[in-house]
Amino acid sequence: MKTYTFHVSGTHCPSCKIFIEDTLNSEDSIQSARVDLKQETVEVETSSEESAEKLAQVLTESIHSHGYTLSVEKVAIEKGGSDVIWKALPIGLLLLALFFSLQKSGILNLGIGSETTPATSFIIGLIASVSSCLAIVGGLVLSLSAKVSEDKVSDTKTFLLFHTGRVLSFALLGGVLGALGGAIGINFTLTAILGLVASLVMLLLGLNLVGVFAKNKIALPSGIFRFFRKVEHRTLTPLILGFATFFLPCGFTQSMQVSALGSGSFVSGMLIMFAFALGTLPMLLLLSFGSASFAHGRHAPLFFKSAGVVVIGLGLFALLGGLAGLGIINPLFNI
Amino acid sequence: MNKAASIIIALGLVLGIGILLVGNSRNNAGLGLDQAGQNVEVRDGFQYITIGAKGGYYPKVSTAKAGIPTKLIIKTNGTYDCSAALVIRSIGFQKVLSQTGEEVIDVGTPVAGTPLRGTCSMGMYNFLINFD
Repeated sequence: MKTYTFHVSGTHCPSCKIFIEDTLNSEDSIQSARVDLKQETVEVETSSEESAEKLAQVLTESIHSHGYTLSVEKVAIEKGGSDVIWKALPIGLLLLALFFSLQKSGILNLGIGSETTPATSFIIGLIASVSSCLAIVGGLVLSLSAKVSEDKVSDTKTFLLFHTGRVLSFALLGGVLGALGGAIGINFTLTAILGLVASLVMLLLGLNLVGVFAKNKIALPSGIFRFFRKVEHRTLTPLILGFATFFLPCGFTQSMQVSALGSGSFVSGMLIMFAFALGTLPMLLLLSFGSASFAHGRHAPLFFKSAGVVVIGLGLFALLGGLAGLGIINPLFNI
Repeated sequence: MNKAASIIIALGLVLGIGILLVGNSRNNAGLGLDQAGQNVEVRDGFQYITIGAKGGYYPKVSTAKAGIPTKLIIKTNGTYDCSAALVIRSIGFQKVLSQTGEEVIDVGTPVAGTPLRGTCSMGMYNFLINFD
């Protein structure tokens, strides 16, 4: 019987302790496992004759899919992390500055014919995907993608489900709008509140990506993390999220919804919204799969922190805009 | 990267973004409503205030007279962006405007000192009309 102490990374909540202990205890070779959350260590008693390194590797396999890693040495990422943020901060802010300059430049206000056809709605989708709507929809996609990649969930499948869900819901709901005609209106207050929720999620994920929560151990309700962990593993979640983006506040989406409403039939409404969603797709795919490829690359820590800075900036922008749109605060900016 | 240099660059960028966000907008293309003061007109006992909506609202700040029944005319011209989704909380108006056309909104008889503020649904564009 031997006793080893391993460093464990990825623990941030009391439930992680219970989960890791349960999982390790169910291994045949382990007599007892005890997690120390403060020290981020786990002490195991084992009958196994393997070396400590080998054992850490074997045990990691059983908990890795949930985002935890065991190691003999303390993982060095934490040490490098504090330097990375000083690189990530200017990079993230520069990207934000470029984004807002693009909005300010007026390039995006180019004239489009006044009649909405599937072809024009595709072009409007392309424009929308780099417009201020990117602040909400793109910011959300970026933060979720980076988070999913960081937690090493099977990201390609998740992204494909999200984007498929998004395009299909747009087509379907567009068809419904076309068929119903003027019978329903999409409530502004509802979209504004959804926008606020989205911006809060972005701020939370952004802070998490930057590492504020991880480093300073700000006691965030463990439920939130458990919730994210749990929903990431569901097949349905990305589909539903894709569906929900239809209702997020975005002037372009709202214009298209009205066009679909006025189009008079299921098929024409569907075509308009489908073409619009297709137009937004390239940029959003770039954000998802771009983050995945960065996340698996050498500069992953830098990417996560830069993305975090960008997401926090966009989240703040969306939050203040949403509050102004609801009439709670006076508008602060005029981009 | 050097920590101090990074902080300086970051502060500079934050300042730049602030100026971008708060600063004055470029002139609006095509609607000819850039000049504040020329968009208010009294005709047949009604005061008409014209605001252009495309990539923002123009003019951003207008001044009109209080005590006259007033109508707001919002002009759109190929407007697909957020400024088409107009919200005026104080009179309970919210509507996605048609992409090209004019929307006439009755705002009643304004009271001096109570301005009228419109924003787009996402809140990043806004206009203000002062009444005196």
